[in-house]
Amino acid sequence: MIKSLRRAADRRKQANGRYGWLFNPYTGDELVAIDCETTGLDPKTAELVSIAAVRIKGDHVLTSDALDLRLQQPDSLTGDSIRIHRLRGVDLEEGESLQAALEQFIDFIGNRPLLGWCVDYDVNVINRHVRPLFGFDLPNVSIDMAQIYQRELRRIRPHLEPHLGFESIAKALNVPVMGRHTALGDATTTALMYLRLTKGALEAC
Amino acid sequence: MMVDIDLSQAPFSLLDEAGRARVANGVDMAYFDTGEVILDAGQPGEFVFIIHKGEVAELDTTLPNARARIGHYTAGDVFGAISILNGQSRYRFKTEQETLCYLLPKALFEQLCEVYPAFGDFFRESLASKARLLVERRASDGVSMAGFMLARVAECMRTPCIVTESTTVAEAVAMLNDQHADSLLVRAAGRVGIVTKTDLLNALILQGLERGSPVLSIAHFTLVTARPEDYLFQALVSMTRHDVARVVVMESDTPIGVVELTDVLSYFSSRSYVVSLEVEQAENLDALARASARLPELVKALMSQGVKLNFAMDLLAALNGRIISKAFQFLIPPQQQSQSCFIVMGSEGRGEQILKTDQDNALVLKDGSDWPACAADMQRLTETLYKLGYPPCPGNIMVSNPEWVNSESGWRQTISRWVERRDGASLMNIAIMLDAHAVAGNVQLLDGIRRHLFDSCSHDEIFLSYFAKMALRFAAPLTLFGSLKRPAHGIDIKKGGIFPIVQGVRTLALECRTQPTSTLGRLDALAAQGRLEPEFAADLGEALSLFTELRLKQQLARLDGKGRADNDPNLVVVQSLSSLERDLLREALHIVKDFQQRLSHRFHLEY
Repeated sequence: MIKSLRRAADRRKQANGRYGWLFNPYTGDELVAIDCETTGLDPKTAELVSIAAVRIKGDHVLTSDALDLRLQQPDSLTGDSIRIHRLRGVDLEEGESLQAALEQFIDFIGNRPLLGWCVDYDVNVINRHVRPLFGFDLPNVSIDMAQIYQRELRRIRPHLEPHLGFESIAKALNVPVMGRHTALGDATTTALMYLRLTKGALEAC
Repeated sequence: MMVDIDLSQAPFSLLDEAGRARVANGVDMAYFDTGEVILDAGQPGEFVFIIHKGEVAELDTTLPNARARIGHYTAGDVFGAISILNGQSRYRFKTEQETLCYLLPKALFEQLCEVYPAFGDFFRESLASKARLLVERRASDGVSMAGFMLARVAECMRTPCIVTESTTVAEAVAMLNDQHADSLLVRAAGRVGIVTKTDLLNALILQGLERGSPVLSIAHFTLVTARPEDYLFQALVSMTRHDVARVVVMESDTPIGVVELTDVLSYFSSRSYVVSLEVEQAENLDALARASARLPELVKALMSQGVKLNFAMDLLAALNGRIISKAFQFLIPPQQQSQSCFIVMGSEGRGEQILKTDQDNALVLKDGSDWPACAADMQRLTETLYKLGYPPCPGNIMVSNPEWVNSESGWRQTISRWVERRDGASLMNIAIMLDAHAVAGNVQLLDGIRRHLFDSCSHDEIFLSYFAKMALRFAAPLTLFGSLKRPAHGIDIKKGGIFPIVQGVRTLALECRTQPTSTLGRLDALAAQGRLEPEFAADLGEALSLFTELRLKQQLARLDGKGRADNDPNLVVVQSLSSLERDLLREALHIVKDFQQRLSHRFHLEY
C-alpha cells in the first residue's frame, strides 16, 4: 500500500525527468537477473560492494552482454563479509563511485522485470542507495527465484518439504553453479535456474 | 569474466590468451530440453554451440530413421561451426538430454577465424576430414602397399619369348626388339635354356659370332626358377642369391613366364618391407629371431601409411606363417616333416593376430608314423617360438603339451569326444580347432581333420545352437537408448565387439562348411553362398576392422611405452575418443547387436 503510494508519487515527480521512462509498463520479453554482494545481511545497514545484471532473452542468457560493477570501498567493508565475497579493499580500489555505478545499472536494467535470489533483499539495499541520489525507488516488477521455486514445487509435489538452499536448488534443477558468491556468477546461475524452472524441469525429475 | 568455460581444448587451444578472453566474454548461454531441436536442417547458422553438459545428436533428415543418427556430441564438443561456414545447416541437431550450451555468436566466430587462421582451419579441416573418412569407408578396395607385398610371382611375370634350337642370333635379336624383351628362352631336346641381351652382345662383339650361327650355342641351361604361386619377395631373394637379373617361372617343367629384377624392384620401395626379405633370407634361428623382432616396426609403418587393416592382417599372417614354418624346418628332421603337420589355431589361425600375442598351436601326425623323439622335439619347438617372440599360451594350448599332439585318427576321436561333451571347454577347443591353419609340414593332413569336424557338427542343430550361444555371452556395450555406455575404466571391445562377431561368423561358417579360416574370408564366402546379405557381411567386416584397429592402436601405444603397462588393450575409454571415432564405434556396436539378434533368431536362442 505504502509502496504503491510511494511509487505513484515517484512517477509524478519523475514524469518529465531523465528517468521517467522507467515508470512505463514493460512490454518486451526480456528479464534481468541481478545480484549484489554487500557488506552485511541487514538491508538497513549493508553497503554495496558489487552489482551484476544479466539479461535473459527467450531461451538465451546473454552473458556476453552482462553488467558487472565493482564499487569503491564502502566504510563498512569488514572481515566477515570479505570472507564471503572475497573482495578486499584493494580489489575495490579501481571501483566506480556509487553514483556512476547506479546510473549504469539503471540504464542497463531499464524497466525490465528483475529476477533474483531473494530479490527483495537486493532491491531494498539498492533502493536505499538510489533514493537519496535519484529521488525514487526502482519501479521494476521483481521476481524472486526462491519463491517461484517453492511455489512450483508445492504445485507439483505438495508432499515434499522444500529444501531451500541456493546450491541444493541448483542441484535439483541440474544447473551448474557458476562462481558462487561473485555477483555475476550468482546472477547467471539464477538466470539458468529460471530458464530450467519455466521449462518444466521439476516435472521431469 | 566468470563464465565457467573450458577453453584449454582444441579448437580453442589454437587461440591466444586475448582470443580466449574474447570467447569467454562473448558467449551467451542457453538451456535446451530433451528432444528439442537446437538447429534444424536448412536453417542458417547463427551460433557456434559449445556444450557445457548434456548430449546432442546430429541427424540426417534425408535418411531413414534407423540410420539418420550420424553424429553425437557431449560435454566439451563443439557443433554448428560448419553450418556457419556453409551458410546453413545440413543436418538437424537435436538434444538427447537436457543440454546447457554456450553460444558463440556468428559475428565473433567469423572475426576469430579471420584473426586466427589456425582456428578457422580447424573447422574447415574437420569438415574435410569427415568427408574424406566417409569416402574412405565407402571405397573399400584402395590400392595399398601391403597388397603389393602379398603379390605372387604369377601377378608380376611376363610371357616369355620362346625360340627353337634352329633360331639364329640375328632372328633372336629381331625378336627381342619386336617384343621389347630383355631375354628369351630356347627349347632344345627337352631342356630349356636362357639367352639374355648381355649374352648376345658378348657373343657378337667379344667372341665375333656370325649373325647366322644358332642361338643355342650361347644359351645357359642352369636356370634360376620359381613357381607361379611363390611370393614375389621369394623370387627377389633367389635373384639376389644367384646374382642374376631374372628368374624363369616353371609349372610342371614347362616355362610359363619370366620375372625381371626391375619389375620386382618397383614393388619394393620402402625400407620397412625389407623385413619380409630378411625372414626369407634367414639361414639360422638367430637371423630369424632378428627379423621376427622387427615385425612390430613393420606394423607401425603400415598403420602410419594408412594401409587398410585387412591387408596388413594378411601380410602379417603370411609373415608369421613363414617364420613359424622356417623354425619348424630348422628344428624338425626332414623325414618327420612330411609325416606331420604343424597347425596354428585361434586368432593366429584366422590370420587376425597382428602383433604376436600368444602361441596357440598343435601337431597332427600321420597315422602309423614313427617318431620316438617327438615329445622332445616339440618341447624345443615351443621354446624356440618363445625366443622368436611368441609368448607361451596361458591355457597351455601348445605342441609342448602332449594333449595337443596327436595322430590323425587320435584327433578324430578327440573331436568326436568334444562334440559329445559340449561343455564350455570343449566348445572353446572346437572353436579354435575350426580356425586351425596349417603352416608347416604336410599341410594335407589338416584337411582330413577339418572334414571330420564339419561332418560331425555342421548338421547337428543342437550343437550349433550351443555353439552360437557363446556369441551372445557378452552384450554389446550400448545403453537402452542406443548410445555408448561409458564406464570410467572403458568398454571391453574384445568381449563386446570382436568376440561376438568372430564366434557368430564361425558358427555360420561351421554350418555352411566354408573353407577359409579368416573371419573376413568367411564373411565373403557366406555372402557368396547367400547365407548373409552382401551389405550386412561387409558391415560386419568393417565393424571388426574398426575394433581391431582401435585395439591395435592401444597395443602399439603400449609397445612405445606410452600408456600404462597394466592397461588392458581391450578396454577403450569412450571419453578419450574423438567424436568421429565415437560415432564409428557406436555404429559398429549396433551392427554387433543386430548380428546377435539374428543369431538368436536363427539358432532359437530366445528364452
